[in-house]
Amino acid sequence: MNKVILLVTLFFLMLISGFIALSFGPANITSAQLMSCFIDTCHNKVIDVVVWQVRTPRILVAMAAGMGLAIAGAILQNTTRNPLADPYLFGIVSGAGLGATIANITLADNLTVALPLAAFLGALFSVVIVLFIAKLLQRMEQLLLAGVAVSFMLASITQFILYFGEPYATNRVIFWMMGSLSRVEMSNFYVISSILLIALFTILILHRQIDALLLGDESAASLGVNVDKLRLLMLGICAALTATIVAYCGGIGFVGLMIPHIVRQIVGVTTLKLILGSALIGAIFLIWVDVIARSALANAEIPIGIITSALGSIFFLFIMYRTRIAT
Amino acid sequence: MSALLNVSQLNWRTSHTCILQDISLTITKGEVIGIIGPNGAGKTSLLRCLINQNNILTKSGLSGSVHLKNKNIINYSTKELAQHFALVMQKPDPIFALSVQDVLKMGLLPHKSIFSLESDHDRGKINNALSKVGLLHMLNNNFATLSGGEQQRVLIARALVQSPQILILDEPTNHLDAFYQHQLLHLISKLNITVIMTVHDLNLASSYCQRLLLLNKGKLISDGTPEQVLTETQLHNAFGLPCQQKVNEITGSTQVSFYLPETQHANNTSTVNTHHE
Repeated sequence: MNKVILLVTLFFLMLISGFIALSFGPANITSAQLMSCFIDTCHNKVIDVVVWQVRTPRILVAMAAGMGLAIAGAILQNTTRNPLADPYLFGIVSGAGLGATIANITLADNLTVALPLAAFLGALFSVVIVLFIAKLLQRMEQLLLAGVAVSFMLASITQFILYFGEPYATNRVIFWMMGSLSRVEMSNFYVISSILLIALFTILILHRQIDALLLGDESAASLGVNVDKLRLLMLGICAALTATIVAYCGGIGFVGLMIPHIVRQIVGVTTLKLILGSALIGAIFLIWVDVIARSALANAEIPIGIITSALGSIFFLFIMYRTRIAT
Repeated sequence: MSALLNVSQLNWRTSHTCILQDISLTITKGEVIGIIGPNGAGKTSLLRCLINQNNILTKSGLSGSVHLKNKNIINYSTKELAQHFALVMQKPDPIFALSVQDVLKMGLLPHKSIFSLESDHDRGKINNALSKVGLLHMLNNNFATLSGGEQQRVLIARALVQSPQILILDEPTNHLDAFYQHQLLHLISKLNITVIMTVHDLNLASSYCQRLLLLNKGKLISDGTPEQVLTETQLHNAFGLPCQQKVNEITGSTQVSFYLPETQHANNTSTVNTHHE
């Protein structure tokens, strides 16, 4: 029961975080002004635009992206039975990178639609290759190694294109790959959150099946789980979630690795608790990282992916250090 | 008594070896059956065929059929099979800190529709199963940190939660000390369901199984009561070691002990030799 209270607390913490995050940014908005925007109307035209058209979409996308990346990581870890699995080690991001690069080089204009679309296609392309290789090797457990190999292959193609490409386009791609929420719009939130809802719904329906995998494939199969189909479906969901998020926000690494690890310690390891906990903590985490990204430096933004990668790599070493002590 | 499981002319050949050869048998409801035989005799392979694990029966190189309640087992869905069979595997491989309760909850899966929630009835089932194996006090312990024997008992409790008609166990007494070996097999033999298990220890098999299947090199050498199967000649042929059979005076069960010919006690040489002829 106390886990339910914990999850409800996290939910309110997420709402409060989102609200507080509205007051951070280059324009100074006091909490009183913010309150009046919510209760009544914003009295100032500038504040109205900043609150509703700049910060709200950004915070909502941060929330949805944090949820999506954390859920994708959690599901990937449970279904591949590898606690270090991360959608980013799975070739998805380098696939998206390749797609974005090709779009940037070949279509200089109309990038608002073409870039996310190309990134999404690139991500799906890489997932198909990874799955094909894993199928070829007959070992689904080696999915991750296949992912790393594909990741390097696609990254090298991307770098080759960028090296010979137009400098301006190269610049754009590199900034995109660092990850940023500065250009997101409300429509992005609708797309990400609808995929998120489908993913959550599917996972919640199948949570007992996914749990059965935690004692191994043989155990799951003896409980009536169609292991290969379930794994394929879950990988598809991870790929769709990550690809959509990466397409709009660029590379935001390590969220899928860090958040589920923390959730297992404080909420639980079984799928239902893990997924709800990851969604909430993932959302809170990315809301605050984005606050840091836009307010840490006086007159510049730090790409959000730089912060998550920095935090993530330290966290990664910390886990390794702790397991070293434990064994 | 109706036939629950009917195996007819099961053959399994790979390019190198013959894993199972022409195995036919009928299993009726309520029997407690032990599959015995030397290493590599095909015990686990036979188990896997009986439950059609990973659709093994449709593989090339495999011929013959298994019928469950007069219906070919390959026509059952994985979920239907899970409602009939519960499997206690040899080596569970947990990742993450699953609690004992989490492991037992998995047993509910074959009888749950996707939207149903956990009921009081389910929790009662879990507690009941866990107290049957004597581990109720460990409900919230971390499964991965339990001893091998405790893990084995938790998995048997999970199988009980699954409420199967046939319980399948692969070497259930591995990792257990003498006390738990007997306690566990006694428990299994009193469950009033059909049990099929592979057992290494012939004396344990003899004490707790009504029927033994002796396999050697993929062939079913002998099928019958422990008394009929555990004969000195048959065991000598299968295991390549001479042995002595006698009846335990306290329990009345047939017991065997193997020995290396060169370790025979000098004084007993003549008696043992005549015994063998």
